[in-house]
Amino acid sequence: MRWRFILNIVGILILFLGLTMGFSLLVGLYYNDRSVTPFLISMCLTIFSGSLLYICFRSARAEVIRQREGMAIVALGWMAVGLFGALPFYMEFEFGTFVDAFFESVSGFTTTGSSVLTNIEAVSKGLLFWRSFIQWLGGMGIIVLSVAILPFLGVGGMQLYKAEVPTPLPDKLRPRIRETAMLLWKVYALISLAEVTLLMFGGMNLYDALCHTFTTMPTGGFSTKNTSVAHFDSTYFDIVIIVFMLLAGINFSLHYEMLSGKGLAFWRNSECRFFLGIVFVLVAVVSFNIYGSVFEKIGQAFRFSAFQVVSIVTTTGYATADYEKWPAMSQLILLFCMFLGASAGSTGGGMKCLRIMLCFKYCYKELFSLIHPHAVTQIKIGGKPVSDEVMRSILGFLALYMGLFVFCSILLASMGVDFVTSIGAVAATIGNIGPGFGLVGPVDNFAHIPYLGKWLLIWCMLLGRLEIYTVIIFFIPEFWRK
Amino acid sequence: MKVIIVGAGEVGFHVANHLVLENKDVVVIDKSLDAIRRVTDSIDVQVINGSGSSPVLLEEAGIRGADILLAVTDSDETNLVASLISNIISPSTKKIARIRNADFDKYHDVFCDQAPYIDTIINPEIELIKTIDRLMSVPGAIDVEEFADGRVKFVGIRLEKDARLKGVHLSKLSDKTGRQGPLVAAIVRNEELIIPGGSDKLMPGDLVYFISEKDKLVESLNVFDKHEEPIRSVLIVGGGRIGTRLANIFEKKSIYTKILEKDSDRCSKLAEQLNKAVVLHGDGSDLGLLNEENIQDVDVVITLTNDEETNILISLLAKNMGVRKTITKISKFSYFPLMSNIGIEQVVSPRLSSINTILQHIRRGKVLSSRSIKGERSEVMEAVALETSDIVLKPLKEISFPKGALVAGIIRKDEVIIPTGESIIKPDDRIIIFARKNVIPKIEKILAVKLEYW
Repeated sequence: MRWRFILNIVGILILFLGLTMGFSLLVGLYYNDRSVTPFLISMCLTIFSGSLLYICFRSARAEVIRQREGMAIVALGWMAVGLFGALPFYMEFEFGTFVDAFFESVSGFTTTGSSVLTNIEAVSKGLLFWRSFIQWLGGMGIIVLSVAILPFLGVGGMQLYKAEVPTPLPDKLRPRIRETAMLLWKVYALISLAEVTLLMFGGMNLYDALCHTFTTMPTGGFSTKNTSVAHFDSTYFDIVIIVFMLLAGINFSLHYEMLSGKGLAFWRNSECRFFLGIVFVLVAVVSFNIYGSVFEKIGQAFRFSAFQVVSIVTTTGYATADYEKWPAMSQLILLFCMFLGASAGSTGGGMKCLRIMLCFKYCYKELFSLIHPHAVTQIKIGGKPVSDEVMRSILGFLALYMGLFVFCSILLASMGVDFVTSIGAVAATIGNIGPGFGLVGPVDNFAHIPYLGKWLLIWCMLLGRLEIYTVIIFFIPEFWRK
Repeated sequence: MKVIIVGAGEVGFHVANHLVLENKDVVVIDKSLDAIRRVTDSIDVQVINGSGSSPVLLEEAGIRGADILLAVTDSDETNLVASLISNIISPSTKKIARIRNADFDKYHDVFCDQAPYIDTIINPEIELIKTIDRLMSVPGAIDVEEFADGRVKFVGIRLEKDARLKGVHLSKLSDKTGRQGPLVAAIVRNEELIIPGGSDKLMPGDLVYFISEKDKLVESLNVFDKHEEPIRSVLIVGGGRIGTRLANIFEKKSIYTKILEKDSDRCSKLAEQLNKAVVLHGDGSDLGLLNEENIQDVDVVITLTNDEETNILISLLAKNMGVRKTITKISKFSYFPLMSNIGIEQVVSPRLSSINTILQHIRRGKVLSSRSIKGERSEVMEAVALETSDIVLKPLKEISFPKGALVAGIIRKDEVIIPTGESIIKPDDRIIIFARKNVIPKIEKILAVKLEYW
């Protein structure tokens, strides 16, 4: 491990983050609100620290990034970015302690969307913009973005890309990693532009349209309103946001294929079919479940169930209704959705449809070989065989995910948090959803979680966003051995 | 520029690595997952797992938009079929295939001219023999490349501890030697490549690369205290295909040749095929046998067995017993940096030779040939100066050449000019350029036509 080299690159990332604060500063200046001074100070601090790290370890630059170092850079980079991104939050008085500001910042970058704010609308516009903007940065990956636009990360980019992009089967769209990263960001930006246009077409002002797009596309879920999307109470906005949440939950290479005119890529891809199919079935089931018991009209039941199911399964976390008042079956389905998550290669979190699909196929294969002990079988996805190595890593991932979920919720409960809230909070943060169940439901917030509990949940969010391995590897003694 | 490489073996891997450093788009296809993993772990290329002769995969790799297809799998048949299929799907792509089987040897030239779907055939053994031949032609050389049909040589030598020129500034080189000295294009010192300016000094132990006309080569070598030593006798260890071929060549040149082979059946075959050469049956590491054959009197020992560790040991043994020059065949690239440490300088590799030949064909436009030198960090190329390019008709010092590149020679008809800042390149001159890997795309741009006229 070449720590000096790792710190050098992390320095570049911090420097880069400092520059992006400029956008929020501009918004603050435009509205001339109280966020200007905090932004100026944090921007200076961030740029200064980044440059300091970069310059101090400039001599340690290397050509190649090894796999282990790639993981270390990504994990450290995310922690550092969360830390410096918290500075503006800390300097505005709505956030009490530093851990609250850090929680909000990490929740933003990891596109979780869990908030410690009780009164969102009291926060200055500049800071709320930052809160949405960091979700947009975190969605496609701040490191992928730096690979795309900073030329000197090109050579070792693949290791960083692999450690940050949430998919068990990374595919390169172009021969060079830099072009691939650039392409993904272009697609991401293009779809975001479409959403802003459509939201403004429906009458939303530019500021709200931007902020909501910045949190829909990365499946983040921060809103500028106290009551989230329910504030607008418009079927048009609901539909637009549902469509874009679904788009954000689909593998971005498929978007690229669609945009480059290769026809129905969504339908050809088996994971995407599975994802859309399961969303459709769950929306139908929940609609019937809440029809009559909560909503009088079938149209209304369908609208709210569709929004809530899509919001949770894509791990966005917007709310238009308080699902905790829904029947137990609907609540359980939503809890299941938190684990399911969106497609691999999307901006969504959770376990990812691809892994669940492969896990089912694996189970079937096991059963099949009980019936035909001599059968030779091969697990395939989209007609292509999946190697045993990939399969093992997926099963390992699922086991770790469930194990960590159990461990963290017990740990949270031991801090005095109640049963449902513990489960809900951990499921919502490790899956990068946002609102959970119990005292952290869609109309509540995370302000009352004990001090240590917040640190635990911050860790869960990072685990979820970087798909566990990249973060957990730091806790394996073997990693530190020379 | 897009290149598709079929086969991620040693050659495919290194060519890919090479091209990526030059900012080219590379797609690698290989059947083995392990080979694919090795590629993705260290090079920024796109990879596809599967057979390179499959039209579906070739299409997926984007053969239609590719400039070059390079087929370098272990199997000659796969290479041929991959080229054939590429030709059907995308006739405009340049196809380069490696063919190793000795049965093709006789047809090598025919294939090169007649097979319509392959542009170039690379035979690593033939390339290796050419390399060995070049190395033997220059005394003391570690690396020899030829340009302008052999009229200009690019030579790498190791500066001895007691060399006259040690500690001399390059700008004072001609004062010391009393005439215009050879142009030093590069120095490798402690595994680091230096493109020298006038103020750089020569140090003992340096690997010095210089350009020289063929006729003045002996003179140039004298400057560096390397003296001509005619080669009268050679011992070849390993009577495989390469050994046999070399022995044949030496016979024609009337060099006294001994060839040592372990396998007795192979020995009788060799005895049938060779006329003047002495065929010996025995183990190359057998000290008694080597003594018996007066190894200390042999001018060159060439070790060509299939086992590279044996080759290294025999070369060391021969050096110890007083042989002046050994040439060692090694395939594993990871051994290369170690070789100069243990005193084995002249190393050849069929793969390295193939890579060099392949690169030569990949170069764009009016580049006639190019050679990668030690450790793949830099390249020498020979190109034609086009009338419309940016470099002609002005003094060299006014051309905005990228840092890390150097014009090392200008060839005008029969004349070879060692350039200074005042030299002017005329249209249709051939120029020899030495460049670091990372500036090669820029060089290619400079050499290319300024305005397209059609």
